[in-house]
Amino acid sequence: MTTIFFAMLRREVQEHKVAFIYAPFIVTIVLCFVIASVYFGITDIQTAEFNFSTEIYDEDYQEGMLQASPEAKARVIRAGLTVLALPVLITVGFGILAYNLSTFADERKDRSLIFWRSLPVSDLTTVISKLLFVILAVPLMILPNIILLQFVAVMSASIYFVSNDIVSFGYLWNSYFITDWFRIIFSLWAQALWTLPIFTWLMFAGTYSRKPVLGAVVPLVATVVLEGIIFKTNSIFEFIIERIGFWSRSESFPKKYEEVRVVDVPDIFLLFSTPEFWIGIIISALLVVGIVYTRSTNNDYTVE
Amino acid sequence: MSEIIIKAESIKKNYDASYALDGIDIEVLSGQILGLIGPNGAGKSTFLQSILGLIKTEGNLEVLGMDPRRDRHQLLKEVCSITDVAVLPKWMTVDQVLQYVDGVHPKFDIKKCLSILSKTDIKRSSKIKILSRGLVVQLHLSIVMAIDAKLLVLDEPTLGLDLIYRKEFYSQLIEDYYDGDRTILISTHQVEEIEGVLSDALFMNQGRVVMYDSIESINKKFLELRPNNDSIEKGRSLKPIHQRIELGREVLLFEDTDEEKLSELGEVRPPFIADLFMAIMDKTKRGTDS
Repeated sequence: MTTIFFAMLRREVQEHKVAFIYAPFIVTIVLCFVIASVYFGITDIQTAEFNFSTEIYDEDYQEGMLQASPEAKARVIRAGLTVLALPVLITVGFGILAYNLSTFADERKDRSLIFWRSLPVSDLTTVISKLLFVILAVPLMILPNIILLQFVAVMSASIYFVSNDIVSFGYLWNSYFITDWFRIIFSLWAQALWTLPIFTWLMFAGTYSRKPVLGAVVPLVATVVLEGIIFKTNSIFEFIIERIGFWSRSESFPKKYEEVRVVDVPDIFLLFSTPEFWIGIIISALLVVGIVYTRSTNNDYTVE
Repeated sequence: MSEIIIKAESIKKNYDASYALDGIDIEVLSGQILGLIGPNGAGKSTFLQSILGLIKTEGNLEVLGMDPRRDRHQLLKEVCSITDVAVLPKWMTVDQVLQYVDGVHPKFDIKKCLSILSKTDIKRSSKIKILSRGLVVQLHLSIVMAIDAKLLVLDEPTLGLDLIYRKEFYSQLIEDYYDGDRTILISTHQVEEIEGVLSDALFMNQGRVVMYDSIESINKKFLELRPNNDSIEKGRSLKPIHQRIELGREVLLFEDTDEEKLSELGEVRPPFIADLFMAIMDKTKRGTDS
């Protein structure tokens, strides 16, 4: 069974290398270039929404850095490095959206479903392998990009600080924990599980609909509108919005943060204690049953 | 001793109000190369799909002693199929598809497959989307031939291919794949191209079995007479089951008639499967009409 899953995961990587290897890598390289450019004074980024410049390291700021406690320093640096990864995560987020919608639609469209189903792999195994890919493998695939990005950021900042006699070279590295890589990966896995009902819904739309985008959107919009008209509530809409957002920022998450900071690995386990998490898992399991049934019975290969 | 590979009893499948399969009762034994012959809508593909567990049917269907719908996953370790042309995933390279099949199929022999492919124009690094339709089918057949399966199901495997690829396909199938024990089911409209390789023929129409017999038995049972000009009336008087004109010459088809008696009237030979099918269909239709 391990060999089968390995072969299936390898197939997914081969098929979706543009979305999950090339695209995040290109974004990472661009970001690395931008960060290095800013630190080495080649450019400043000044837009209405975003302001990043080495000019921000004025005397007050430098004094603040030197006075900061190790905990405060670590918190700020970790938060900064986490925010730095957002463009990569957003890129992959779009990739995941497209993957979920297309993975079962494309195999109908090019009729390769006939070939896949001629091999001794059950529909359930196929669905689980695709979920394992998107939940477990994709975060692992993008982790090297995040590590590279953080490394370039910390290195550039360190060189800048040393060359300007602000702090010593090792100043930032003391707050850069290798163990944070594990925190990032666990956090991304938690995020994937939190968003699983959305993933499985999009996959389901790909198995039954000739137009997967419409098949995914129209029933949801109709349900939200009907709920509003009949019950005068908007719980389904709120459910969808919560699931798209960060798991640590959801209303049901027991630990609230007043300031921007990273969540630690023990925080992730708090997510598993919430009923909302398990409701999402149950909804996803029901949708998996729907995907398996529809994939095994739908002989309509007309997909637009 | 031949093993029962397929046992079908009263197999029915209905779509809306009409029956695609209307009570199929057959047994297929190991070593048979069975051709499913019939017009469009005869139920051939539906029957093959039911054997592969792709659709649910009424009645009792066993393939290698298994229920194809319930035990599909297990069954596909022993059953291979090509049920449509050019369905290999276009984004993959030849190497990637071989690696994948090697990973998921316990009976796939990648060395054997590579050896078969080495005799073709297919390059391992090629993407499937750049291969011609004929090469894609050749690749698919190479994969299937490298799987040590008991049953091979082919549903219009050469549709849309040119004559050379079609000939190569069937000669490769018989010379390199068939070992006397394996069972092959073939459904195709190009009957004349496969009749030389068939051991048995199953005629189907409107979801029913019209005739199921071995080629050997068919050749003994049915004879075609091209009577000499002065023997046409004599031939007709022997009550042929079907008569037609071919290149201006009368051709009479007889069932269970003495060959010696027919030879006195002209040239006698076993009928082509396609001609026999037309005759049987005509006979069935006349029977129904009367």
